[in-house]
Amino acid sequence: MSEPLMRLLADLPVASPDRARADRTRARCRARLMRPASRPPAVANTRVRLWQPMIAVLGVVYLIAAIVQAFLVLSS
Amino acid sequence: MDPDTEAALVDRLRHGDPDAFDLVYDAFNVRLFTFLARLTRRRDVAEDLLEETWLRLVKHARRLRPDTRLGPWLFTVARNLYVSFNRSRVLEESATAGLIALWPFSPDRVSPFEAAATSELERRIERALAAMPTASREVLLLVGVAGLSHADAADVCGITPEALRQRLHRARETLSRALDRDEAAAPAMRGVTPCPNR
Repeated sequence: MSEPLMRLLADLPVASPDRARADRTRARCRARLMRPASRPPAVANTRVRLWQPMIAVLGVVYLIAAIVQAFLVLSS
Repeated sequence: MDPDTEAALVDRLRHGDPDAFDLVYDAFNVRLFTFLARLTRRRDVAEDLLEETWLRLVKHARRLRPDTRLGPWLFTVARNLYVSFNRSRVLEESATAGLIALWPFSPDRVSPFEAAATSELERRIERALAAMPTASREVLLLVGVAGLSHADAADVCGITPEALRQRLHRARETLSRALDRDEAAAPAMRGVTPCPNR
């Protein structure tokens, strides 16, 4: 019973989208596809990459300075 | 579409080849539109969702995996867009239900396919499909009308192939019952004379 039903579904008519709009969509997609791939902003990335180690280095320097200062105070 | 052709097209799309896009567009545009038009039952909405589906393909073209299956990919995007549209429409309708109740015309509309059906049987199938719950309708449209395999249709719906088989089985039964009911009601309806205008 279900196979004839599936055949009926397969034979249902197809629908075509509006021709003018389909052409516009195609042209828009083609243009977008041909656009060169956008590159990630290299400068901003480098800045992000540099900031994190700089903060870490400054933190370590501050910590060492604090420890040295504490030793100096204790030894005097 | 055979796997080698599909893989070659995916590769060309990943490299931004517009001629490859044309081939994919020609192969799937009508099938996608037919699917969306029967799912949404509105031509204007189907056109909008179809355009958005193609724009999504272009947007993701360079990031497609080499083994991407274009048919299931496109139908998945189209279906997800419909689900999002439906969700926003439900919210909108719940917010404006009071206003719609004041509108003099019924918001229920005849599906464009039902209006264009060339035979009584076609009209009955379209009417039965339009009246089905979305989950049942979509599996019948994907497997029965669009011709996707069970595995591909399961991917599109985000369910297991076994769940799809069960859903399809129930959907076929629902459709079959609806057609039987419609057939039984048709002679009775033909005998009813319209009420005279008062």
